[in-house]
Amino acid sequence: MRRALLLMLLVAGGCKKSSDAKDAAPKPALTVGLVTDIGGRGDQSFNDSALRGLEVWAASASFKGGRYEAMAPATREAMIPAALKARVTPVSLKPLVVQSKVQEDYQPNLQLVVDQGADLIVGVGFALENAVEAVAKQNAGAKFLLIDSPILDAKGAPQTLPNVRTVVFREQEGSFLAGALAGLVAKQKVGFVGGMEIPLIKKFEAGFRAGVKTTNPGAQVLVQYTGTFDNVQHGKQVATDLVAKGCEVVFHAAGSDGTGVIQAVKEARAAGKPVFAIGVDSDQSHLAPEAVLTSMVKRVDLAVWQAIKDLEGKAFSAGDSVMGLKEGGVTLAEVTLDFPGKAEALAKVKALETAIISGAVVVPSNEKDLEGFVAPAN
Amino acid sequence: MRETARAALPSVASVITSLVVCFLAVAVLRGGLEVALDAFLAMTWGAFGDFPRFFDGGTSAAVLRPLGESATKAAILTLTGLSVAVAFRVGLFNIGAQGQLIVGALAAAVVGAGVELPTALHVALCLLAAAAGGALYALGPALLKRYRGVHEVISTIMLNWVALSLVENWLVTGPLRATTTGDNSIAGTAQIHASAELPRLLGDVSRLNAGILLAIAAAVALWLWLTRFVGGFQWRAVGANPEAARASGVNVGRAFISAMLVSGALAGLAGAVLILGTEQRYPATIGAPYGFDGIAMALIGNGHPLGVLASALLFGGLRAGGTRMQLFGVHKSFPELIQGLALLLVAARLMWMKVSDRLLKPKGGP
Repeated sequence: MRRALLLMLLVAGGCKKSSDAKDAAPKPALTVGLVTDIGGRGDQSFNDSALRGLEVWAASASFKGGRYEAMAPATREAMIPAALKARVTPVSLKPLVVQSKVQEDYQPNLQLVVDQGADLIVGVGFALENAVEAVAKQNAGAKFLLIDSPILDAKGAPQTLPNVRTVVFREQEGSFLAGALAGLVAKQKVGFVGGMEIPLIKKFEAGFRAGVKTTNPGAQVLVQYTGTFDNVQHGKQVATDLVAKGCEVVFHAAGSDGTGVIQAVKEARAAGKPVFAIGVDSDQSHLAPEAVLTSMVKRVDLAVWQAIKDLEGKAFSAGDSVMGLKEGGVTLAEVTLDFPGKAEALAKVKALETAIISGAVVVPSNEKDLEGFVAPAN
Repeated sequence: MRETARAALPSVASVITSLVVCFLAVAVLRGGLEVALDAFLAMTWGAFGDFPRFFDGGTSAAVLRPLGESATKAAILTLTGLSVAVAFRVGLFNIGAQGQLIVGALAAAVVGAGVELPTALHVALCLLAAAAGGALYALGPALLKRYRGVHEVISTIMLNWVALSLVENWLVTGPLRATTTGDNSIAGTAQIHASAELPRLLGDVSRLNAGILLAIAAAVALWLWLTRFVGGFQWRAVGANPEAARASGVNVGRAFISAMLVSGALAGLAGAVLILGTEQRYPATIGAPYGFDGIAMALIGNGHPLGVLASALLFGGLRAGGTRMQLFGVHKSFPELIQGLALLLVAARLMWMKVSDRLLKPKGGP
């Protein structure tokens, strides 16, 4: 036993030398770190979108079996939406992804990536706000990108740091278009399923309601919150309930609960009910092609890629930024399903999109603004 | 001395075996001993201080930061481990440490944010609130056990879900959620006042805080209580054989209830260390099942307070440092795998007893 251990140490020691030699190989010009929230790799929405921006769009690499492999250009192209193909170019970089197991790991994980010499560190999700703030203050030389929240002080008021760029999205604008389309497809009732009842999700709800009000003022909007982002069964339950109450379209902003929503709608369709689901964050039509009308896509991938591109071009700037329809930060996924009056409906939605981009229509982002919202004539 | 060695051998051997097996697993799955060695070294430096970086001209933070993270995790694991271990000692299996931790954490967060007091008093009050919260949450199962014979495994495990739903699905996302300006979201409750934070022992360099001192003090105090006090002796007597204890005049019911209260209080304190030490608010969710890890700590530590402390120090370190293995393509949950395997091996106590009998057989004895 003792001899075997000794042998193993010797072998391992021998290996160690060869790894030192390998370090001399040329490195990519940039290292970009990314720390996920608890959801982590494989959540089919938020974290995966950020990882796509870093690993596929920028680094042109795929993560397999614990290491990166170069990705064929054609495969990469296929993972970029048509409208962005020309704009999104690859960047030579080394991705450094650390996933977080628990809340209190955010700060050490960010620090770990800083210590590895990353030129830019991406924090995915508003849950990392405190940690990014603390680590950015301690490492004034490092640059950070925080997704979904500005830096907030102890009282919850926004502040800026000289080395942190933050990106938030105008989810209400994309949700407005989803609502407008839902109003055109449905006659009397549409449903909304939210995850946790927090301001971020309220933005989706307010935009969606305003959209429905615009295209179908008589329609009733039924709203349910599941209270979680990781309970598929609960999402399914709530959506089944909404469908039973007569909702013809159900939009969700509920993370993993939403896959349950889509599942419920899929089963209702199979049972003969004319009902559609609208997905969120990523294009979720692959989950149930016959049931998912469209998805409110949040281009976290674009925000991450853009920050990396700016870094490469020495144009990285700190400060708060907001991405809405105009900036390509939110958008509706392509509608591939057929329904009566599809062409006119899509034309109407397109017109509303143009109106929002031009500033003619301002979409409400919370309940208070929603009360004062006057639907544009169409 | 020999008895101590005999008692500790199963745990030590299990941990070492588990480390070796996991090392080989990484080597096989991730392309060779070289990767496995790099990964395990990274974990070691991440757990006990990045000495190579320090001697390479790095700052002291390279050593102090990892130590701070390890100590934070070790403190929580020690307290939940002691919580489970103390219940074990009277023959109760408290699976409810997770629920008691959640209640304690919330109590600490609420008192930390809602009350204004001078530092020392404020921290003490938060800790007291957390301990009281955890103890009260364990009181129900204790009373049910005492007066109705309800098995504590059933009642405590069900109360875990009640705590989770009540606190994380309602209070923290509902009435107690922090308010912000505009449409920004904050996860969790309002931030606690600076006066309620556990003092950082090394200033801003590291998150090393007084939590670990609290955990060590709790372990030593519990050890003294169990070995040097009549009450502690009575608890052990009840744990060894309640009927015999009753026959010798020990109030078994009171021992059950008081041990469960202490158990709940310790789990509540673990929650407080998490909130007052690093999080400064009750986050949207406490992702980690530290209460269940407490069962592992108690078993690997052989139910001995100092054994629990030792195993928590080790696994706190491995879990804090294990994050770094991700840089070598190792899955984020790997440290838990090491812990789980060690637990499995500890459960095979009989096997180790055979080994220890052979190794430690007194010379010339039978």
